[in-house]
Amino acid sequence: LKGELAVDWYLLLAAILLPALSAALCFILKNQKVRIAIVSLSTVLLFAVAGGFISLMFNSPDGKIVFQMDEGTLEMIGWIIKGLDLLLFGYIGYIGIKHKKAIVVVLCVLQFIPWALFEVFGVFGKVSEPEEAFVIDHLSLIMIMLVSIIGPIITFFALGYMKEHEHHLHLKVSRQPRFFMILFIFLGAMNALVMTDNLSWMYFFWEVTTLCSFLLISHDGTEIAIKNGLRALWINSVGGVAFIIAIVLVNSSLGTLSIQAISASGMKGAFTGMLPIALALLCIAGFTKSAQFPFQSWLLGAMVAPTPVSALLHSSTMVKAGVYLVVRIAPAFAGTILGTLVATAGAFTFVAASAVAISQSNAKKVLAYSTIANLGLIICCAGIGTRISLAAAVLLMIFHAVSKGLLFLCVGTIEQGIGSRDIEDMQGLFKKMPFTTVITVIGMISMLLPPFGVLITKWMAIETAVHLPLVLLFIILGSALTVVFWAKWIGIILTMSYKPKFNVEKLAFSMKAALSALIVFVMAASIGIVPLYNNFVKPQIISFSIADKEELAGTGMGIWLHKVDSAVYGGFASILFFVIILILMVAIPIFSNKIKPNRLKPPYLCGGNVDEDFKGLEFIAPGDKVDKVVVRNYYMESVFGENKLTFYSNIIAGAIIIITLGVVIGL
Amino acid sequence: MSINNVLIAVIAIIAAPILGGLLTGIDRKISARMQNRFGPPLLQPFYDFFKLIGKQGIAVNQTQMVYVLGHLFFAIGALVMLVLKQDLLMIMFILAFSAVSLIMGAMSVRSPYSKIGAQREIMQMMAYEPVLLLMVVGVYKATGSFMISGIFEHDKPLIYSLPLVFLSFLYVLTIKLRKSPFDFATSHHGHQELIKGLTTEFSGTQLALLELTDWIDLVLFMGLISLFFAKPLWIGILIALVSYFLEIVIDNISARVTWQLMVKLTWAAGIGAALVNIVWMYLIP
Repeated sequence: LKGELAVDWYLLLAAILLPALSAALCFILKNQKVRIAIVSLSTVLLFAVAGGFISLMFNSPDGKIVFQMDEGTLEMIGWIIKGLDLLLFGYIGYIGIKHKKAIVVVLCVLQFIPWALFEVFGVFGKVSEPEEAFVIDHLSLIMIMLVSIIGPIITFFALGYMKEHEHHLHLKVSRQPRFFMILFIFLGAMNALVMTDNLSWMYFFWEVTTLCSFLLISHDGTEIAIKNGLRALWINSVGGVAFIIAIVLVNSSLGTLSIQAISASGMKGAFTGMLPIALALLCIAGFTKSAQFPFQSWLLGAMVAPTPVSALLHSSTMVKAGVYLVVRIAPAFAGTILGTLVATAGAFTFVAASAVAISQSNAKKVLAYSTIANLGLIICCAGIGTRISLAAAVLLMIFHAVSKGLLFLCVGTIEQGIGSRDIEDMQGLFKKMPFTTVITVIGMISMLLPPFGVLITKWMAIETAVHLPLVLLFIILGSALTVVFWAKWIGIILTMSYKPKFNVEKLAFSMKAALSALIVFVMAASIGIVPLYNNFVKPQIISFSIADKEELAGTGMGIWLHKVDSAVYGGFASILFFVIILILMVAIPIFSNKIKPNRLKPPYLCGGNVDEDFKGLEFIAPGDKVDKVVVRNYYMESVFGENKLTFYSNIIAGAIIIITLGVVIGL
Repeated sequence: MSINNVLIAVIAIIAAPILGGLLTGIDRKISARMQNRFGPPLLQPFYDFFKLIGKQGIAVNQTQMVYVLGHLFFAIGALVMLVLKQDLLMIMFILAFSAVSLIMGAMSVRSPYSKIGAQREIMQMMAYEPVLLLMVVGVYKATGSFMISGIFEHDKPLIYSLPLVFLSFLYVLTIKLRKSPFDFATSHHGHQELIKGLTTEFSGTQLALLELTDWIDLVLFMGLISLFFAKPLWIGILIALVSYFLEIVIDNISARVTWQLMVKLTWAAGIGAALVNIVWMYLIP
């Protein structure tokens, strides 16, 4: 370490080691009250870490916080990580053997061999690890904010949720210590993953998140949980194999493992020889982690885990690691054929996942497919490789993380409230859970409608994809399909008959607090899109070295797209529309109070309503028979069914990946 | 936003409902003549509107009115963006918000008819939304801008480059205006298999505001048609009126199709035609 430990070093250590410490404490001290204290304190401290990094970044003149290490320290930490890598391989191999899953063992060995040859024995030439071991730029900062703010909120939510969850399972000995330990390790690994500039260190943290996701998915220990956990493990190990091969190739073609150097290599004409293959392999690693078609099945299986796990996997950790890597290296292949192919793969996932989502009535599955679709769109934007599309990718990472984290927690809360995660069972939810319903609906609207952020990024994606016709068509079809499944679900949730009085919902404090905090973030991020873009995203986009000179400006009340000659060719003053939203929100209580009970009528049911039934649940059918009214949403299984589309989508997506590999090898 | 822009917006917000109402009145008159009836007076839509406004407020639940307002406000928002020559793609998304708001309102009550109407409206959106977005892409390929102001700065009328896109837009217009053969989300006649579909459970002021929104939408779409012929604008407006007449004729000579057929037709013919047009736009260097 150079000189004395400065503030930035303390923050760096805190971001990685504080979660590790909390993990250890949660595991050792098994008392519920102590755990609440640890989690609460860690939440506050991680918020402080994120805040600390933000203020450091604003005071840093070149928009970067660089952590330089001297050779000795570097080597020492390098060997520590190598040792931990070894442990990790051993443990994953042990899991494979224990559960008799051959493919896990095989993939583990396939990673171990190149890793050992490269890292330990130096067979593939000198390993050039960068001296600047950790570099935090704005993209890393954004990821740190997502991990260290949303992550702890979800963990905090888990306090109330897991108590209830274990109550349902009738466990004799609480397994919460283990659960919270893994959650915290996960957060620490994610923080480290986004801060390190060393590709081989990143690989280690990458594998840690893979292992953590296995442990979390299989947490409940049921047969299905273990099966799905193992699936997550082996699919992500495929990505691991791609990753380790890519490391070897990067080292030999660029002569460094610095991620910053990879990112900057695009403008230096390095896109020849082995590098395109390495970049394509890194993208494939990103695809597996971000559950892109044809690797999506692990994320769908992950919903057997307790809800906080899904929320964490889907929002700020795990899947975001994949897109983070792709966005990070995107400048290296911006404007190349590889970029176009990556964009096509992402856009295809976007449309395929959106289509399948229409046929799903399982709320968690709809959310999962929506996650896959949005990650597809992020990867698509990264592949398009203009400054505007990269900005859209980064913004979508933020908006998706907050909204999806919130929505998973909402569904978990609803599930505990009504005992079902079927969308059709959510009719009349407003009566039972008004608080959760309102938050859920706002969360959903934030996923599909203007002026909320997710839609704005979709709009930016379309406007910047115009030079790639096929990609454009996929995005357009995908966004039409997106409206269908969200609108259906929102409609069901909002169904209600007249209520003279609303219930007061009983929720654990930690759950209520987490939901409230996240909804505030959802609203704040969308309303504050201009400062958010200007202060956090724009500096990063400008610092990317790519040829494209188009510019995205956040001025006035919205976001504007500028051509090279600075002519505006698209723009939207989103803030004005939030005024309308605000008026509507004020209107709801006014209108609900204004209507007098005697002015309320039951709905028309094409037959006599049963007396005193103001809900419209039953009607008198011919022959004075009382019949129930049942209306279901259209799911169109025969067109969009999972079993109809998955097979062909996987084939097409697989073909795109093979084509990509063929192209980069042939370059 | 300059004073000038505010003024334009205010004029548009006042003028659009009046124009839309008049057009609807003409529609009813012409339709009646086509059916050998005398038809209501030209101003009948306005009489209806004010009568509905004056009715006692009856509701099925407390939230319906909010969705109606959402439907209206976002339609107004889209209209203002149009007259201020803003981003065309975003106008389409704002219109989608307006439509989704109505769907939420229809689904918020437990009436099966209203719900079925809403489901059909969703299918309808799924069908026409890609066509509208493709139209915007076509406009970009022709003018190099997503801003409507870019269309006015463009020398040639868009119709020269985008004839097929224009046709598929007209096709979508039939769906958007809920005209026969695509009036399955809400029918004009309240005794059919879905009663009044989407609007079954709205009454009084709510229904009046839905009418008002329809008028604004109508003007908005007339405006979008005239964009294809902008320069001079009056030709565009003329063509828009002719197109509207065409819609009325189609409305009167066709029977309702099933929504399944509509989705297939729209994705095949609507998207197909627009796509063909855009493909050649891409091939022009």
